[in-house]
Amino acid sequence: MSATAATTKRSAKAAMGPFGQVGKIVDELDDRLGVAKGGRVFLDKIFPDHWSFMLGEISLYSFVVLLATGIFLSLYFVPSTQQVIYHGSYRPLDGQWVSEAFKSTVSISFDVRGGLLVRQMHHWGADIFTGSIIVHMARIFFTGAFRKPRELNWIIGTTMLILAILEGFIGYSLPDDLISGTGLRIGYSIAESIPFVGSYLVTFLWGGQFPGTGIIIPRFFIIHVLIIPLVLLGLVSVHLGLLVRQKHTQFAGEGRTEHNVVGSPMFPTFMAKTTGFLFMVTAATALLGAFVQINPIWQFGSYDASKISYAVQPDWYMGWLDGALRIMPSWEFAGWGHTIPFEVLLPAVVFPGLIFTIALMWPALERKVTGDDELHNLLDRPRDRPKRTAAGAAMFALLFTLFGASSTDVLANFFHISLNEVLWFFRIAVIVIPIVAGLVTYQLCREMQGVHGIGKRKRPVIVQRSVQGEYTTVPTPPRPDDMHTELDPEPVPVRIDIEPLSNGGTGEPESSPTGVRQVTR
Amino acid sequence: MSDEERQPSRTRVPMPVAALSDPHMGDAAKHPARVEKIIAVIFLLAIVFLALFGAAYWQNWRAWELGGTIGVGLFLLGFGLTAWGKYLMPQGPFVEERHTLASTSEERDSMAAALVERSAVVVKRRKMLGGLFALGAGIFGIVAVFPLLRSLGPLPGDSLDVTDWRKGTVLVDSSGRPVRKDTLVVGGIMTVYPQGTVNPQTGFITDRGQAVDQTVLIRVSDQPLVPPTMPGREDWTPDGYVAYSKLCTHLGCPVGLYEQELELLVCPCHQSMFNVRNGAVPQFGPAPRPLPQMHLGYNEQGYLIAMAPYDQAVGPGFYERTT
Amino acid sequence: MRGVRTPLRGSFRTQFLLPAGLLVVAVMASFAMFIPGADAGASGHADTAQVPSIPNKHVTTRACGTLNVKGVTGTTRNAGNPFNSSNRFCLNGHLVSYGSRYITYTNPPQSLISAGQLLFAQTCSSCHGNDANGVNPDGTATIGPNLQGVGAATVDFWVSTGRMPAADVKAVEAERRATRLTPLQALELAAWVNSLDPAVPAVPYPHLATADQSAGQDLFSLNCAACHTITGSGDALAFGTNAPSLQNRSVTAQQAVEAMRTGPANMPRFSGNLTDHQVADIVSYVTGRLEHPDNPGGVGLGGVGPVAEGFVALLIGVGGLVLICFWIGERS
Repeated sequence: MSATAATTKRSAKAAMGPFGQVGKIVDELDDRLGVAKGGRVFLDKIFPDHWSFMLGEISLYSFVVLLATGIFLSLYFVPSTQQVIYHGSYRPLDGQWVSEAFKSTVSISFDVRGGLLVRQMHHWGADIFTGSIIVHMARIFFTGAFRKPRELNWIIGTTMLILAILEGFIGYSLPDDLISGTGLRIGYSIAESIPFVGSYLVTFLWGGQFPGTGIIIPRFFIIHVLIIPLVLLGLVSVHLGLLVRQKHTQFAGEGRTEHNVVGSPMFPTFMAKTTGFLFMVTAATALLGAFVQINPIWQFGSYDASKISYAVQPDWYMGWLDGALRIMPSWEFAGWGHTIPFEVLLPAVVFPGLIFTIALMWPALERKVTGDDELHNLLDRPRDRPKRTAAGAAMFALLFTLFGASSTDVLANFFHISLNEVLWFFRIAVIVIPIVAGLVTYQLCREMQGVHGIGKRKRPVIVQRSVQGEYTTVPTPPRPDDMHTELDPEPVPVRIDIEPLSNGGTGEPESSPTGVRQVTR
Repeated sequence: MSDEERQPSRTRVPMPVAALSDPHMGDAAKHPARVEKIIAVIFLLAIVFLALFGAAYWQNWRAWELGGTIGVGLFLLGFGLTAWGKYLMPQGPFVEERHTLASTSEERDSMAAALVERSAVVVKRRKMLGGLFALGAGIFGIVAVFPLLRSLGPLPGDSLDVTDWRKGTVLVDSSGRPVRKDTLVVGGIMTVYPQGTVNPQTGFITDRGQAVDQTVLIRVSDQPLVPPTMPGREDWTPDGYVAYSKLCTHLGCPVGLYEQELELLVCPCHQSMFNVRNGAVPQFGPAPRPLPQMHLGYNEQGYLIAMAPYDQAVGPGFYERTT
Repeated sequence: MRGVRTPLRGSFRTQFLLPAGLLVVAVMASFAMFIPGADAGASGHADTAQVPSIPNKHVTTRACGTLNVKGVTGTTRNAGNPFNSSNRFCLNGHLVSYGSRYITYTNPPQSLISAGQLLFAQTCSSCHGNDANGVNPDGTATIGPNLQGVGAATVDFWVSTGRMPAADVKAVEAERRATRLTPLQALELAAWVNSLDPAVPAVPYPHLATADQSAGQDLFSLNCAACHTITGSGDALAFGTNAPSLQNRSVTAQQAVEAMRTGPANMPRFSGNLTDHQVADIVSYVTGRLEHPDNPGGVGLGGVGPVAEGFVALLIGVGGLVLICFWIGERS
């Protein structure tokens, strides 16, 4: 009896096929969805291993962290500017008039278990999100990965950067505290300054003259929680989809051509590394959220339009605009019954508009200037494109200088210099530093192009003198450390012999696999 | 084609097999056994910290303890997994061929032809219909925008130009107390609002009081200012009191920073500087226009009052603003 | 086609440690900027001619003698004017103390005057004149201003915070520093200077037990945050002046009241617009909360705000993660 049961068990196992339960699931799914072919291609996908290709993953995973922490916060936050008297855990606010939005944020920070941690993770995550987008974008720019056929991905990415900056600004304005409220007032005034449409735009958005009916916070809430995240999710999907379809770029090297991709396979290697990286990005956000305080709104108090604090800078990704506003001379045009505030328009509307337009159009601009219409799957080394690299360096120098210009008071305080002198320094620096940076970078690239073996280990050379007085040099043999193991890149094998003992352990690739069954359906 | 012929073949065909000892499949680490042990320890530590997070949450520990435990635990978990992937999983290098993205020129031509020629058929035969439809769709596109934009809020009208200050409005502080002749000493500054915008019992200040009417009152001397802040303003500064709109003419921040010895109002946002003796004309920084000055006076009770509304729109510039 | 695989080797040093070290250095350097340290000691020159002088205003009563009340409001009750406060105690034609239940203002005892005169002659007369009137023996103006009629609180503030004796007479503003003189010596000087032209405010002694920190926070954010920042971290103001940090724990409640009531240097003078009750509330908030900030979220970064946070996010957050990318990926 037991023999029969055992036989049935074994034959049942045999009937399942050589790949067991998983094979059966694959069969069932494939019958319905036809996924086996595409799935296999997907699992075989090759990812080049260069470290700079992982920068986009920082953005992607910090976005995931933002979504998760954001969902938590949205379950507690009250998007309302209704004024109430605060009675709660934080005593120094007791009895004061605060908005519901502010009160709920203080409550998240002090009364909700884990609330302060999640709130800080969300804010740190946002800073890291925008920071990593910029770093990733820089890598794409300096290696020329935006060239054909990837211009669309560049445009999508730049759009996501704009949305990320906007999302961050809206997000930290939601708690309606003194500092972010001041930022909103400034935003209102900037929008108001736009000729013809400005005053309409602001009374429409805010529901009247500042601060309006108070509808701005609920509107910002739904934009921040629903509208922009949906758009971002859609754009990220297209961004990654294009990456999958067009495949990743790679640096030139041995075995790497315009027509292949060399690296590690999606499953299991890349999945392991990238999942591990997801955990590490989350962990980094959690550690920052645990140990470094950010945006302690309880210290600022609820927004009151007649109150102000000194040393109010916006979050770092808006700092370049704040710096531009500070150093701009007061050129306002007033005449013929109208006013056009150029001192606001130029630094806060025209300038960022110009920067982002140039960014969006860069692939087209470069195509036009270089006349290069070819498909590129191999990346440039930045030094091989000195003009592009210099332009990018100048742009970064400009943004960095503007960021410094937004901290004029902090710098004046730290270096014990007059505030007025610091401001004049930045007015001049914002023109000089980008030009110098561009020129220096250009020169550096040219020089690095001309020198071979930069960054490689130098090997000592033995100088010998012959009897006649001739000098000859004899290179020392390379150390074992310097030798490369060379392996030919191979396609990902279809099958792996995981039980070599059954083959007698030859270690040679077999041409006939084990466990083959003939089955007809 | 019969049904059987249409079905994909289900015969299992022999497939090439790679050996496990193939260096492409092998460990990248020089000492894989040691690396495995290290990763195992890392995973164990991760488990400890993550469990500690659970305990920390249950015991309602503080934010840094919650974050520290889950941060370290998650980091170790991720680090271990990544190390496993980097050192112990097949590294390759493997290669994948790129398929040409572009279709054949035949396929491209047929697509273009489908678009161009089929549209031509429609347009050739039904030009009028096409035109009418396009007009309808265009009009829809335009009018659909109306509710999206216009319903959001009111027209600005003249709301951006006027404040609540009128002739006779009493100046009150943030507690609702009126200002008298000796409230401030020379060198003193306070923020004032129109009486009626501050509730003395509850301390509540209306939005307009805070945002639009906010005024900064400074005692610069104990005599009316000579020379006046601007020509024609000889009686605007009784007993040395000067009042300006607190809204910066740059971007609307409250100009609350006063330097007594320099007699300078500085806007904290972008460091525009206004001299209070000469009509708050900007001396430095991006602000384009002086702060509007209030004509001050006294009423019968000895309280400081506004003698007239501001003579211009307060705050930042906008297109419809006239000086 | 030949492929390349670089096995792991001692490049850990260059691949990982070197960038990590650079990152740490960058982080430390930017952190150093934000740790609250000494206040900005600006360079420049003092222009005493610009200081608005408050005209003298004397009140004479039999009990309290002649008192210079130029520095205080006449209108608001319990706002630092002895003739408009809940309490006033004079003796033998001198003002001894006055105030309300939130702040008691007391003049230094008469017995300190002679010691104060001696100390003044040694320490202060070179800049302020032998009679503290800002006039040299030859009739020219001294570097330091006329101190007659400033009141005991003013003298006590400048001396007890170490601003006087001045370290750099050419500085735009004198900075707080470690005091050379003891608190008793400060009172001696105050006693003597005050005796030349008895004035108010007298040295304040705040009673903070019943002060309301929440009301203090509200008033602080309206009246003080514009210069001192909402977290009290202090910052640079125009033309080399600055508002000092209130997170400094050596700032005492007494000094805070003195500063508010006397308006030192470019700080406005808060008289009738803040009652003693309100001043006590503000001071309770400053000494209780600003000097002991509520940072449950972790390291406070000096209360400087988004500038510091941006540095941390970019250098530590993004920088650290990029470092991890260095480790995971290859460098070809």
